[in-house]
Amino acid sequence: MKITQREVGSAAILDLNGKLTGGPDADAFRDVFKSLLEQNKKHIIVNLEKVSWINSTGLGILIHNYNTVRGAGGDMVVMHASERIESILYVTKLNLLFKSFNSEDEAVRSFTAAR
Amino acid sequence: MGKNNVEQMILNIPSDLKYLGAVDAAIQDLAREFSFSPDAINDVSTALVEACSNAIEHGNHFAKDKRVVVTLRFNGGDFVATVQDEGRGFDFAKALRDEAGPDPMSERGRGILIMRAFTDDLKFKCDDKGLTVELTKLRGGGGDAGQ
Repeated sequence: MKITQREVGSAAILDLNGKLTGGPDADAFRDVFKSLLEQNKKHIIVNLEKVSWINSTGLGILIHNYNTVRGAGGDMVVMHASERIESILYVTKLNLLFKSFNSEDEAVRSFTAAR
Repeated sequence: MGKNNVEQMILNIPSDLKYLGAVDAAIQDLAREFSFSPDAINDVSTALVEACSNAIEHGNHFAKDKRVVVTLRFNGGDFVATVQDEGRGFDFAKALRDEAGPDPMSERGRGILIMRAFTDDLKFKCDDKGLTVELTKLRGGGGDAGQ
């Protein structure tokens, strides 16, 4: 899986490309989040538009980093999840944990709206 | 392949997550061939990829000398897959009883939840060869994944 980083307003957006399945992905993801928090960037959007699928280990990676960001006083949301991924979030009830957006603008605004 | 015939394909893959894409492509193509709906195709591939992920990670622990054998069988339009690893298995009876799933903040424990939600029947069998997961998706079935 490839991770590309960009910024919009106060938010750091991570564009993921590939399959989120664990293994080396977990370390790469954790390193990116650690680096962002070290730079005091605590509003993180995970863009799932180009993630073809995710398994339970991939969900664990998302939860781990969500917990890390929340523990640091920040927040993490997801955007552009496919129907397939949305249905996985639904059956695992993670749709109740992760805010999910279909628009980048809405995802970026969610951090200021939550204040 | 005819819709009413029993058709079977066996994939024998290394214990490496990079082969999940090949399994996903195979089941998507076959399910399409057997006129499964797009939603049903997503269901069976999601459940199968999850089963294979677990076999590679938790069954074989990524061991290079261990394989995962995936059997894809279409029978009268219904789909049955088995995924066999070379691991020692786990207390699947206990796991199957836990319908609520893990704590929302827990990083683990959602594999069975996913496999069960996207199939119509889920079975486990453990013997001296390893653990076998059997996933069944009925052509007219829905699983529990509908929103």
